Amino acid sequence: MALSTQDKADALAAVPLFAGISAESMERLAAVTGEQEFVTGQFIVRQGQVGTGLYVILSGSVKVMRGSEELIRLGDGEFFGELSVIDQQPRNASVEAAEPTEVLALASWDLLALLESDPQLALNLIKGLVARVRLAVDELAGAQLGH
Amino acid sequence: MALTAQELVDMLSSLTLFADLTRPQLEQVAHKMTEESFPVGQRILRQGFTGTGFYVILDGEVAVKIDGEERARLAKGDFFGEMSILLGEPPVADIVTTRQLHVLHLGGPELEGFLRDHPQVMYRMLKAVALRLRNASRWRS
Repeated sequence: MALSTQDKADALAAVPLFAGISAESMERLAAVTGEQEFVTGQFIVRQGQVGTGLYVILSGSVKVMRGSEELIRLGDGEFFGELSVIDQQPRNASVEAAEPTEVLALASWDLLALLESDPQLALNLIKGLVARVRLAVDELAGAQLGH
Repeated sequence: MALTAQELVDMLSSLTLFADLTRPQLEQVAHKMTEESFPVGQRILRQGFTGTGFYVILDGEVAVKIDGEERARLAKGDFFGEMSILLGEPPVADIVTTRQLHVLHLGGPELEGFLRDHPQVMYRMLKAVALRLRNASRWRS
């Protein structure tokens, strides 16, 4: 199914990462994102490759894998692929569709341009990353306690 | 040791976090943030407890300790305190000085506005946080 720019804007508006960004940024965002569909078991990004984009899950769910170990599952409205876009280093994990999954993909150059023009988006992204650092730290603490 | 305004701006211009700012912007930052010093062995942030601020290290060194175990050291140009402010949660680690510390401090409630006013600083912070997330992920593996 092909989504209109308005459909994409509506879907993106529900994603916390894009909460509070300007109408102009949202319009640009919707115009430059593309929808992609994946079948169960299909890789969306592969560990070791340099990333070219950020992905927002519209429906379905994905498994974030390091090697054969599943690190976390992400679902509707969650995003992945951002680290590689920001620091241009290879992907530190693979992401595989856990069921039929539809995503909106945003190319790294478009994301970087948006970040430069809309501070709110950068702030949201920092908050999202910080929450993930926190999660990693909590899991580390849990692992040390033998959980 | 208090620096003159001129010395402070010179020092700020050498830090990665502020590398993209113009001279007048650096002067704003120096005006907005407060210089503070801490002796060796002082706990600046306490894991699990409230009381926050955003700190940029001008000189000295701190240890980052999680559940008593040292995980990292931070030195000139590094920053800390942003996580608990942005998440609205207590600090995730203890920050303890290992060398006499000289920092710039910004009150927690002011951080978001400060970042919005200085997108270049936010972008540098975004890169630093991304790096930190990679390092945190590495601890687990």
